[in-house]
Amino acid sequence: MPSNYPQVLFQNRKPDRITTLEEYRQSGGYRALADVCKHWSPKDVQQEIMNANLLGRGGAAFPTGMKLMAVAEDAPYPRYIVCNADEMEPGTFKDRVLIHADPHMIIEGLILAGFAARAEEGIIFIRPEYENAARILEREIKIAREAGYLGQNILGNGYSLEIVVHRSAGRYICGEVTAQMNALMGKRPNPKVPPPYPTEKGLWGRPTVFQNVDTLACIPHVINNGAEWFKGLARTATGGGTKIFCVSGKVNRPGCYELPLGVPLREIIEEHAGGLPPGSEFKACLPGGASTRFLSKEFYEIEMDFESLRKVGHRLGTGAVMVFDHKTCLVAATLNLIEFFARESCGWCTPCREGLPYIRDLLRRIEEGEGREEFIPMLERMSKHLWSAYCAFAPGAVSPVEGLLTYFEDEVQEHIVQRKCPLK
Amino acid sequence: MPKLIIDDQEIEVASGTKVIQAAEQLGIMIPRFCYHPALGSVGACRVCAVKLLEGRLKGVQMSCMIDAQDGMVVSTTDEEAVDFRTHVIEWLMLNHPHDCPVCDEGGHCLLQDMTVSGGHGIRRYLGKKRTYQDQYLGPLIRHEMNRCIHCYRCSRFYQEFCGYRDLGALQSANRTYFGRFQDGILDSPFTGNLSDICPTGVYTDKPSRFRGRRWDYQRSPSLCIHCCLGCHTIATGRYREIVRQEARFSEAVNGHFICDRGRYGFFYANHEARPRRARVAGDEVSYDQALQALKAKLAEISKRSGPGAIACVSSDRSSLETQAVLKRIGRMRGWRNFSGFMPQGLAQKVQLAVARLEPALSVSLRELEGADFIVVVGADPINEAPMLALALRQARRKGAAIAVIDPRPIALPFDFQHVAMVPGAISLGLGLLARGSPDEAAIEKLGPPVSDFYAALPTPEVMNASDQKRLSPLIRDLRSSRRPVIVCGTAVGPATVVGLAADWALLLQAVGKKAGLFYLLPGANAFSAGILSDPEDTFEKTVEGIENGSIKALMLVENNPFWQFPDRARLEQALARLDLLVVLDYLNSAAAQQAHIFLPTATLYEIGGLFVNQEGRVQAAQRAHSGGIPIAQSGGGGHPPRIYGAGVPGAEPRPAWRTLAELVEEVVPPDEARMQSEVGVWLAEEDPRFADLPPFAELPEDGARLNHKRDGASRFLVNWTAELQKSRGFDDSFELLAVDWTFGTEELAVYSACLKALERKPGLLMHPDDAGRLGLTDGDEVAMQLDRGTLKVPVGVVANMAPGVIVLPRHRLLEWQRLACGRIRLERDRIRKAASPQGPKP
Repeated sequence: MPSNYPQVLFQNRKPDRITTLEEYRQSGGYRALADVCKHWSPKDVQQEIMNANLLGRGGAAFPTGMKLMAVAEDAPYPRYIVCNADEMEPGTFKDRVLIHADPHMIIEGLILAGFAARAEEGIIFIRPEYENAARILEREIKIAREAGYLGQNILGNGYSLEIVVHRSAGRYICGEVTAQMNALMGKRPNPKVPPPYPTEKGLWGRPTVFQNVDTLACIPHVINNGAEWFKGLARTATGGGTKIFCVSGKVNRPGCYELPLGVPLREIIEEHAGGLPPGSEFKACLPGGASTRFLSKEFYEIEMDFESLRKVGHRLGTGAVMVFDHKTCLVAATLNLIEFFARESCGWCTPCREGLPYIRDLLRRIEEGEGREEFIPMLERMSKHLWSAYCAFAPGAVSPVEGLLTYFEDEVQEHIVQRKCPLK
Repeated sequence: MPKLIIDDQEIEVASGTKVIQAAEQLGIMIPRFCYHPALGSVGACRVCAVKLLEGRLKGVQMSCMIDAQDGMVVSTTDEEAVDFRTHVIEWLMLNHPHDCPVCDEGGHCLLQDMTVSGGHGIRRYLGKKRTYQDQYLGPLIRHEMNRCIHCYRCSRFYQEFCGYRDLGALQSANRTYFGRFQDGILDSPFTGNLSDICPTGVYTDKPSRFRGRRWDYQRSPSLCIHCCLGCHTIATGRYREIVRQEARFSEAVNGHFICDRGRYGFFYANHEARPRRARVAGDEVSYDQALQALKAKLAEISKRSGPGAIACVSSDRSSLETQAVLKRIGRMRGWRNFSGFMPQGLAQKVQLAVARLEPALSVSLRELEGADFIVVVGADPINEAPMLALALRQARRKGAAIAVIDPRPIALPFDFQHVAMVPGAISLGLGLLARGSPDEAAIEKLGPPVSDFYAALPTPEVMNASDQKRLSPLIRDLRSSRRPVIVCGTAVGPATVVGLAADWALLLQAVGKKAGLFYLLPGANAFSAGILSDPEDTFEKTVEGIENGSIKALMLVENNPFWQFPDRARLEQALARLDLLVVLDYLNSAAAQQAHIFLPTATLYEIGGLFVNQEGRVQAAQRAHSGGIPIAQSGGGGHPPRIYGAGVPGAEPRPAWRTLAELVEEVVPPDEARMQSEVGVWLAEEDPRFADLPPFAELPEDGARLNHKRDGASRFLVNWTAELQKSRGFDDSFELLAVDWTFGTEELAVYSACLKALERKPGLLMHPDDAGRLGLTDGDEVAMQLDRGTLKVPVGVVANMAPGVIVLPRHRLLEWQRLACGRIRLERDRIRKAASPQGPKP
């Protein structure tokens, strides 16, 4: 079903092939870059992005303009701009779809962000499972370079940028910016709590700006159409732009949907993803990937925006909506997610490294009918203490557990009382 | 200066102080695993959680990660923080094997302490424990990965602090593993520290494994005497032997760590072959019989040929007390007193270094870490004094530029600029560096002698283009530096370099830089030996005296010329001419075995002693046990050991100074208490530099520096014409350098069986150009022929050394002394490929 909303990032998306440079140009591609190269200063670009209220789409929702402005004017060179395409958040597949749909939109966004930060080297850090996407990017970067959009003296502006595609060695934590920084420098990808911030001392001690794939893809449109237009794309006042929602789980039409920020959850599931299959009832969903808390039925009408979810103690995360129906055991679902997080912990700090396998053991016992009454307070205490871990990984990892205990404690109790999974 | 409140106590600390350190200053020890003062804060273990009640940050936070700030109110006892810390301990103990009864760390284990004090007792976790494969890491460190709590101290110490790469974190999540890619001996010469810093029993000390618990041991503050730095150690004694040695913190010298040669070099003191009985003409006799025989013999020779026919030689490994007594009785009796430095020209260099080390120039090892430009001349840090390399690395980590001007192949665990020059050219290189660095106008203003010295410095043309090219970036770094330090060795460079190093530092100070000077000397007490030995009487002269018949008796005090003297054949002939060879030593050396009269002496572990390190710092080692044959040896392995008799078996060895005192009672009373109180006075009488020292019983932890005197007379005296001559090298021959290696060349540490596996295979090292000209390839066996003998050794071809020199380690497995080497010329036709015993291969 074609969407009635304006399609910005997906305007050139085709069912069977990627958009060529020529097609991208015809849709207005690289016009922003040409314009910027002629008339804009890096500061102008930063300010426009700031005004557009473009929030980082990787999950943390940090204002993109602010990040670009954090690079001091007199900071040393070389500076780096990194496109974070290490899309490993379970349930999230927007970056891959975007790269396969319109790679030049990302490349142009990367050049514009690089221009704003005066970066000379661009890196696309991509997860190794996305080998096809990596090859597409490499091919299209070469084409863009031949067209004069990359390399020395871009479009006669004097600004120069080269982009390399770097394949990750493949761990979830590499998506965390400071860990990604270590990975790029050939070190163990352990996160490193700032300060110094990457925008001050990033790769090899030089200013580095990290941006998510679809954040970058928004930038050409912000430049072309202006900040006000971009803000107007969102349905809520605090949002800016459209958002790609990745809907999966118990729905009739799982997939990526470009919708305005602030669209109600019900609309996403029922109108765009085609509703739940016959015989299935909505029980819960994860609103933004595996490291967000379950939303129960009471939130079915909520406006899907960073701010409105934050207000009720939830996070929009990556906008990956995973839908669970009434026949799905949420203990098992949480266990599945915790299995992932326990495996993907980098092993740096104690709570994450030891606490997650402990939670996994407790959930597994509950699911297998070996649960005990005291496991629930143990899980609660452990989840609380995982918030004092080194980085944001552990708080994200326990979010589904907290959601489970907040909204579905009865279901956990049932497991313990019946000494088996009530849904099996 | 932020002011904060921790547990209701107010404290003001320096800005940048972490909350955990601020609490420590109040005497509150917040639990910690990953935090270590030398390694810094990383926030990995999360056990140092406290609650911040007031201030910008609030809630449960890690005290190692938070800077103390004004207005902060911290509670270490808040319920929420305590609950979190308890939980962390529970997590850490999920997989720990609870094998304390069979773990060597038990009793001094941080994890054990924290678990007990944190109140964690019952394991609630129902899952299986994680298990790992342990690795073989060499003869020094035992690996038990199951005990690991993942504090990352080992990998941070090994990789970040020391700069070695072969041990670190592998795998991820709760399978994170600390070890090597595969089993094998660790590359670093600082591995013993792993057992000190590991908060539990993952890395334990292998040689002392299962020998006892911490509370069984007598642990005493001691010193390392395996090089000149004088690092602080803790010697651990049990059952009349030294079982283990650990690093002892020193603010001025070694910081928290020591090297493996220093840590494991003590086994000579327990060695089965250590001589415990006095000998006369090869027969064991009582101590008193030997002493009487010696007295009679010395009286007879003195009467027959005069006291000047008796020569006594001291040593750079003897305590200051022994050196002092030997000097005193020698002078009072009219005996000739000789320097114990054996290699040619070494005595002169040591004495020059001692003379030129002015208080205003001298920097300690720890001060060296704060330098921003360091040039090392004629020194090989990792091989001569490993802890120097570690200090240099800390300076490098803080951004210092480091250069080494030395002919040898230098390897250091950090990036540095190596300018490989023949020894004769080092002074030229240094001279160029001095010319390029300061600003000329300022020099002009200073006037002579500085301006004359500066004007005479060589200009770049004297050097070949490639050396010039390597020196020019150093000049740039030196120009911009504010705290440059010169580290000057005494092993391979000519004596001029020693003086020039001091001039260099003086010149830089004159132009306003905070320049420092750091000498390396050949032994633990070389500094005082340098002061006390007669500048004219070198060991060469001793040998000459024996050869020409003017010396009839030789008394070697804790010295073994068979190890050090570079001409074995000549030594043997000379010793054979003596009427009397007396040896006082704790080693069963070749000299001891040939002595007519031998008297066993005690080691520093049994008597303690004073040692003066290379910066003139007098430091004291305490007695670790009171002597005797180790019970493990005297009992023949039985338990309880049954030896009948009232005395302590094997307790005859006495301090060398005491035997000397007994020999000449009227000069020095053989009494420990009087010795203690009077040695300072005697020393001050011998040399004013020993004046103004505090009484030795009251020496502070970090010792006290000798009262160096400014030596104005020898400043700025370089004859550049002569230096230019020396720098040319030899066209038709090599310069043969006998050098030290970390393991295998130091006389005491070679008795440690555990260090043998760490020795590199000894061989001859040469530059590829030289090897090419001689038709040699790496690994060839060569025969070196000299007037005195032949030596067959494998050859190693290495590019990072100077052409025109060949390097031979003074290795225990090589009879390098047969070549009569020092810095001598060796014609190229003296080295040829040894015929393969199997004949040419098809």
